[in-house]
Amino acid sequence: MNLAWQVAWQAVVHHPLFGVGITLAVYQLAYLAYERTRWVVLQPVLVSMVLVIGILLLCGIDYAEYRRASDLLTVLLGPATVALAVPLYLNLRRIRELFWPTVLTLVGAGTLATVLGVLLAWLFGAERMILMTLAPKSVTSPIAMLVAEQLGGVAALAAVFVMLTGILGAILGPELLRRFGVQHAAARGMALGLTAHAVGTAQALQESEECGAFAALAMSLMGVMTAVALPLAVSLIL
Amino acid sequence: MLLRGLTWLVLFQLLGTALSVLLLPMMPGPIIGLVLLFLFCLVRGEVGEPVQLAAGSLLRYLPLLLVPPAVGVMAYSAQIMNDFWAITGALILSLLLSLVATGWLMQALIRRQARRGRRA
Repeated sequence: MNLAWQVAWQAVVHHPLFGVGITLAVYQLAYLAYERTRWVVLQPVLVSMVLVIGILLLCGIDYAEYRRASDLLTVLLGPATVALAVPLYLNLRRIRELFWPTVLTLVGAGTLATVLGVLLAWLFGAERMILMTLAPKSVTSPIAMLVAEQLGGVAALAAVFVMLTGILGAILGPELLRRFGVQHAAARGMALGLTAHAVGTAQALQESEECGAFAALAMSLMGVMTAVALPLAVSLIL
Repeated sequence: MLLRGLTWLVLFQLLGTALSVLLLPMMPGPIIGLVLLFLFCLVRGEVGEPVQLAAGSLLRYLPLLLVPPAVGVMAYSAQIMNDFWAITGALILSLLLSLVATGWLMQALIRRQARRGRRA
């Protein structure tokens, strides 16, 4: 009897749909908690991440297996990235009006975000591998992983830093921007998308469509700029 | 409708992947796909309703799609623990500073442009 239960349990836990199942369930729970409380620390991605890790540890599943099991969701990230073209296009008129502020902010603040991260980590005594992995932390993970690898960092770890940066940005960003008197929807979107990529963009889309459009714009431009300029800059400096 | 829109999005992502492999190995396929879809909308002068529907539905669940990559943190706990303070310190400080700097700079530039526009 006991054995039968155990076999059934193993079959459920290692079923290819288990990863998708817990992710879906946990995300809805986390979203509900966030909706009810509106408490910024309950950022849905963060809460879901913690709960999923807890469940995986309890069930004795390692990350490699979970990643295979959640492929069904991850594979949709590609089309979702492509879909960002739509809010971008729908707000084209606004973006055109603010063309120069956007370009200048992108170059100035984008460089600052990258340089500051590496400089601070270097001051705090992190090793070179970590520095090169931290450099692309503000861009969306597929680009960050590629760039980190080119620089001599670790791709998978880069994805982790990217996610941590994104989650922190989405949690702290809106309140921080409000404190510093940044109310303009375009400026808020720009800040969230440029520093906190997709997670920040998801947050910005909830604020308003214009905010989300500028976040999507900042995220894609920052990604392109990092992919092109960062490997070049590092090879010139080192 | 939804399926037709999704098909378009997947098509653009696959086109992007092909271009990434052929011409631009440093740019991931989805980002090239984003640029292609954007150009496509520009040329057509509108976003088709199916694409708009599919994009809206997918983007609503963007946070959900980001959960599996975020769980990847658990696979690197040892490396993160080694340099824990340097990493957290650098991540948090640089994020906060650049976030505020970005928002502030953008807003200042927007205001300057508005003032100039009024004077002109």
